[in-house]
Amino acid sequence: MSKFADIQIDPAIVKRAARGDVRAHEIIYRAFAAPVYSLSLRFTRVPAQAEDLVQETFIEIMRSIAKFRGEAALGSWIRRIAVSKALMYLRSAWTARGQSLADDWHEVTPGDAASHGVSSHPDMALDLDAALANLPSVSRTVVWLHDVEGFTHKEIAAFMGRTESFSKSQLSRAYQRLRPMLAVPGEDVRGEGAALRGC
Amino acid sequence: MSSDKKDEEMICGLTADEHDLLQQELRALPDVMPPRAVWQRIREQGEAEGLISQRPMRRPMTWHGGIGLAAAVALAALLVPVMTNTPEPGSITEPPITNPSNSVQVNALQALMVESRQLESDLRSLPDEPRVRQAGTVATISDIEDRITSIDYQLNDPAIQMTAEEKEIFWRERVRLMKLLVGLRYAQVQRTAF
Repeated sequence: MSKFADIQIDPAIVKRAARGDVRAHEIIYRAFAAPVYSLSLRFTRVPAQAEDLVQETFIEIMRSIAKFRGEAALGSWIRRIAVSKALMYLRSAWTARGQSLADDWHEVTPGDAASHGVSSHPDMALDLDAALANLPSVSRTVVWLHDVEGFTHKEIAAFMGRTESFSKSQLSRAYQRLRPMLAVPGEDVRGEGAALRGC
Repeated sequence: MSSDKKDEEMICGLTADEHDLLQQELRALPDVMPPRAVWQRIREQGEAEGLISQRPMRRPMTWHGGIGLAAAVALAALLVPVMTNTPEPGSITEPPITNPSNSVQVNALQALMVESRQLESDLRSLPDEPRVRQAGTVATISDIEDRITSIDYQLNDPAIQMTAEEKEIFWRERVRLMKLLVGLRYAQVQRTAF
C-alpha cells in the first residue's frame, strides 16, 4: 500500500484548511511533505526540482482543497496531485530535450542498472535505490507508480498520455534491469513451476 | 500455455516471489523530508496569492521545547480549576465555566490534555533510542515529531486566539500523533530487546 494511504488527518483540520487556515495547511504539509518530496525526488532525481514540485503540489492543494469532498482518502487525493505535477514536469523536461517518452532507454547503457544487482539482502535497499536511480526516468516512474503507489497500467497510461502497452513495456524493461537484484538465496527463481505474474 | 499467459510472461518476466520481493523492498525505501525552507516558500506564495490567511509565525523551537510548553499549558489548565474551586478530596474537578455547552467542550479538551500528558510520560519512561536504528523508523519518528512541533507552535503562540473548538481539534491531533510516536518508540525498544 502507498505511504500516502497510511496518513490520516482529522476531517476537522481538512475543513479548516478549506477555509484557508494556514495552521491547518501546515499540519497537512507536515503530514504529507515527506511522501510528496520522496515521490518527486524518485521521479526527477534532482533535489531542487523535487522541492519545486513539493511547492507546486501544496499550492495546488491550497487552491483545490475546498473542492475536496472526502469521497476518497485525503492521501489518495494529494498523491494524485503530486503525481500529476511530477509527470507534468517530466513531460516538459522530455519535450525540452526534444525526446519522446519512449526514447530515454537510449540514455542508459546496459550495464548501468544491472551493475548494482549483485548485492545480498542487507545492502539491498541501498542497491535497489541506486539501481532504480539508474533506470531511465520513464521506466523508473512507471515502476514507482505501479509497484509502490499501486496504480494500474490503465491509470499510468492516462497519466502519461500513452497506451497501456507502453506502460507494460516500460515496466517489463525495468524489471529486466532490476531482476538480478531479486535472487532469493537458495531459491531457483526461474525454476520449473515458478508462478509468473502478469504486469 | 495460452498465448495470453505467454504475453504476460514476456511482458513481466518476474516470478511471483521476485515481484513480491521487489514491491516489498521498494515500499521499504525511506521517505525524506524536504528542507525546512520549503514550507516557508509555500506559505509565502500561498499568502501572496490570497489562498491562506496571514498569521504571525513564531520562531521554530525544538519539539521537546514544544512539548514542555504544551505540557505546561495542560498542567495549568488542570491546576487552575483545582486551585479556584478547592474541591473536596476525591471529588471530580470541574472547570470554572458557566456556559453548559462550553463546559462539555472544556471537559473534552481537558481529557485530551490529560491523555497527551500521560502519553508524554509514557514516552519518557521508555529507554533511550537504540544506537542502531532502522532508517525508515527514524525518518517516521522524526516526521511525527515535526508534526507535533508544528501543532505545539500553534497551541503556544500567544498571538493566535483559538476558540475551545479549535483547541480541541489541535489537541486531538496532538494526542493521535503522540500515540503513533509512543507506538513506534515502543516497537523500537521491543526490537532492540530481542
